[in-house]
Amino acid sequence: MGRYVIRRLLQFIPTVLGTMFLLHYMTSLAIQFSGNPVRAIFGDRTPPPALLQAITDRLGYGDPCLEQKGNPCFGLFLDRVSGVFLHFDFGINLRRQEVTDLVANAIPFTLKLLVIAIVFEAVVGIAAGVWAGLRGGSFADNLVKISTVFVISVPIFVLGVVVREFVGVKFGNILRDQEWIPDVIAYGFFSPGFKPDYPFASLLIPGMVLGSVALATTARLTRTSIMENIRADFVRTARAKGLANKRVIGVHTLRNSLIPVITYLGVDIGSAMAGAVVTETIFNVPGIGRLVTQAARTGESPVIIGVVTMLVLVILLVNLLVDLLYAVLDPRIRYE
Amino acid sequence: MRGKFLKVAVAATATAMLATACGGGGSSDADGDAGGTLRVYATEPASLLPSNGNDEPSSLVIRQLYRGLVKYNAETGEPEMELAESITSDDQKLWTIKLKDGYTFENGEPVDADAFIRSWNFAAYGPNAQNNGYFMKRIAGYDDVTAKDPDGDGPEEAAAPVAETMSGLKKVDDLTFTVELSAPFTGFPITVGYQGFFPMAQACIDDVEACNETPIGNGPYKIDGTWEHDIEINLVRSDTWKGEPGKSDAVNHRIFADVDSGYAAFQAGELDVMYTIPPARFKDAKANYGDRLFEQPGVSYNYVGLPLYNENFQDKRVRQALSMAIDRQSIIDAVFDGRYAAATGFVAPTFQGAREGACTYCKKDVEKAKELLAEAGGWKGDKLVLWANAGNSHEAWLQAVGDQIKAALGIDYELKVNLQFPEYLETADNKAFTGPFRLGWLPDYPYLETYLSPIFTTGASSNHTTISNTEFDSLMKQGDSAATIDEAISLYQQGEDILAEEMPVIPMFWRKEAAIYSENVDSFVWNRVDGADYSATSLK
Repeated sequence: MGRYVIRRLLQFIPTVLGTMFLLHYMTSLAIQFSGNPVRAIFGDRTPPPALLQAITDRLGYGDPCLEQKGNPCFGLFLDRVSGVFLHFDFGINLRRQEVTDLVANAIPFTLKLLVIAIVFEAVVGIAAGVWAGLRGGSFADNLVKISTVFVISVPIFVLGVVVREFVGVKFGNILRDQEWIPDVIAYGFFSPGFKPDYPFASLLIPGMVLGSVALATTARLTRTSIMENIRADFVRTARAKGLANKRVIGVHTLRNSLIPVITYLGVDIGSAMAGAVVTETIFNVPGIGRLVTQAARTGESPVIIGVVTMLVLVILLVNLLVDLLYAVLDPRIRYE
Repeated sequence: MRGKFLKVAVAATATAMLATACGGGGSSDADGDAGGTLRVYATEPASLLPSNGNDEPSSLVIRQLYRGLVKYNAETGEPEMELAESITSDDQKLWTIKLKDGYTFENGEPVDADAFIRSWNFAAYGPNAQNNGYFMKRIAGYDDVTAKDPDGDGPEEAAAPVAETMSGLKKVDDLTFTVELSAPFTGFPITVGYQGFFPMAQACIDDVEACNETPIGNGPYKIDGTWEHDIEINLVRSDTWKGEPGKSDAVNHRIFADVDSGYAAFQAGELDVMYTIPPARFKDAKANYGDRLFEQPGVSYNYVGLPLYNENFQDKRVRQALSMAIDRQSIIDAVFDGRYAAATGFVAPTFQGAREGACTYCKKDVEKAKELLAEAGGWKGDKLVLWANAGNSHEAWLQAVGDQIKAALGIDYELKVNLQFPEYLETADNKAFTGPFRLGWLPDYPYLETYLSPIFTTGASSNHTTISNTEFDSLMKQGDSAATIDEAISLYQQGEDILAEEMPVIPMFWRKEAAIYSENVDSFVWNRVDGADYSATSLK
């Protein structure tokens, strides 16, 4: 177990370095082919060359290799890697804020959003999956099947905008006209986006939207898995032993059915982070996703490299945790 | 196992509900008491330092926190003395500025001559890399505080500037200082209303980073807490401000990354003022908030520049013909839902001295256009290449321009709209356009000179067409040193007439400024120079 973890941790190094290089190369190419992003700050007004140079250097875009198309800029890459790992310096954005500060400010919002999304998709998804799986072919089963297909087939940027406009604005406005509805529901929960006055309540709907696609997949996975296991030998044995139905379903069937679901939920943290880029922008949540969107729009390479590298680390760690969780759930799995 | 799982689930739900309840316990939404909190739409400012914040989101906040020598009249745009007692000069070159007594910064420091001198020197000093530094370029000694790049474009380390302060700024006594310009400029008192000229406290210069997060202002509002990046900026009415107090007790700037999510918040009643409307929702806004929608032709200028360094555009009759082939209003109606106003001159229509119809070749007249082109010997080039930067949906209107030119003059065209903005601007700086190019302009100060000299004088920094007309240059010079503003304006207008004949650019449109405000707002004030004026806007 210990050696396995160490081996996995060592594998992180090439993965992280490789990701960083790809990001570095892509953002450098973007500058080489589309020009110095600092020039765009000044817009139609041509800045004095000295001022342009001073700001370009200050922001770290002054390396001459950024003017040679296709140059992989190894020197700049080494500077960046040593900056990140030796000095914990991720650079600054076009507004001269430290990337580490930006991330530190943004990460609590993204974590809250992710927790809401994961709890929502796990609780509701597994419940719906069990409900449908135990009653194969019934009305409940069909309801879950049809509604999940519907959710899966709607892309998150459509779902997000539709929810914001119809739930947050239209339906929310009706609620806000009613005197008897508490403010936290009308102004917090049904706010069409994140609201500093209600930092938790106004995150619930964005979190649900973020979790909805994975919720549908979770429900379908649970359903299939339950249907398989309910016919398995060990379940029949458990019933034959005379165990109560609750225990047969709760301990024997459900526990074994959850292995693929847990795997999926683990992997989903990665895609949920990607989904957060869209969701946070639509609902104006000041998290990591919105930060990446803004950085990509203005071409702030240090922000993109810094944030995505951190995301890669998170995904690697979560995947490792999921792999270790298998062993807990299924005693047959052992890591040497 | 099952029991455990359930417990966890119940605990999670309970925690969630508890947290929800806590979140709701705080403030309830403002019901619009007199005074009250004005909730406004904002985007993340670049900086809250007067010397550095040069974009619209920054200036909207800075102008509540800081105040300068003059302010602009909301209705007429004319400068009025604010912190200055008087700004006078005999030769338009050496200006004497007298300050009113009794004004202080939030930390108790006096707003005196030093406050201005230190702020202007800080902005101009090259190594500080302040975005508003170039506004000081008219002050004598500016060149000595900005370093020259030794080899033109880095990476060689630039030499440190020769001086740290500009020689043109001299303190006379606590409330008087003189500003010597490197060349006469009649419009100087108008320019100092820009936020780059606002004063800064010594404590602010000592720790600019802290001052950026928690500004030490001298204006009608002060910051409440600190700048909460990407979330909100809260301002409350200042007790130390001696001028006209802000109307509402507090101003809450909520920061949005995406204008559509801001509009959704406005629709849900979470915002009182939105100083801009997402283009796609303009019709919707007009239908729903028609009586609470403010609209006025703005100062944001769109033009199509003609590369005079290209042989095909050297005959002015060709340039006149191209301009006369375009029907601006039909493009505005078809492409922009009427969100722009057709340009009939080179100066923003809201500016003092702007004349409707100053550009005689800006009206569509196909016959005349054909005639002019024939006189010039016809079109000699290949396809007309129309340039615009990618990603801002300029293609649509530029294509309409191309179609109209093709229909009127029979010149085939192609669009070149694949360059990203930075590279596009570099192309402009390098004078590498092969055909008409779209560019824009925003004024630095409400004085018509800002639309003329920087774009059209020989060798000016933003002269992307490379027009060089000695008569125009000398009119600009005469205007700069005219004895009065009125005299100056008439000289500048003569300069504009030369442009209208030479047509180095084809004036296209002015963006209309549109803002919406909620039912809570009693009177909404739009300053025709600065835009939305939050301190003068009152709630019911």
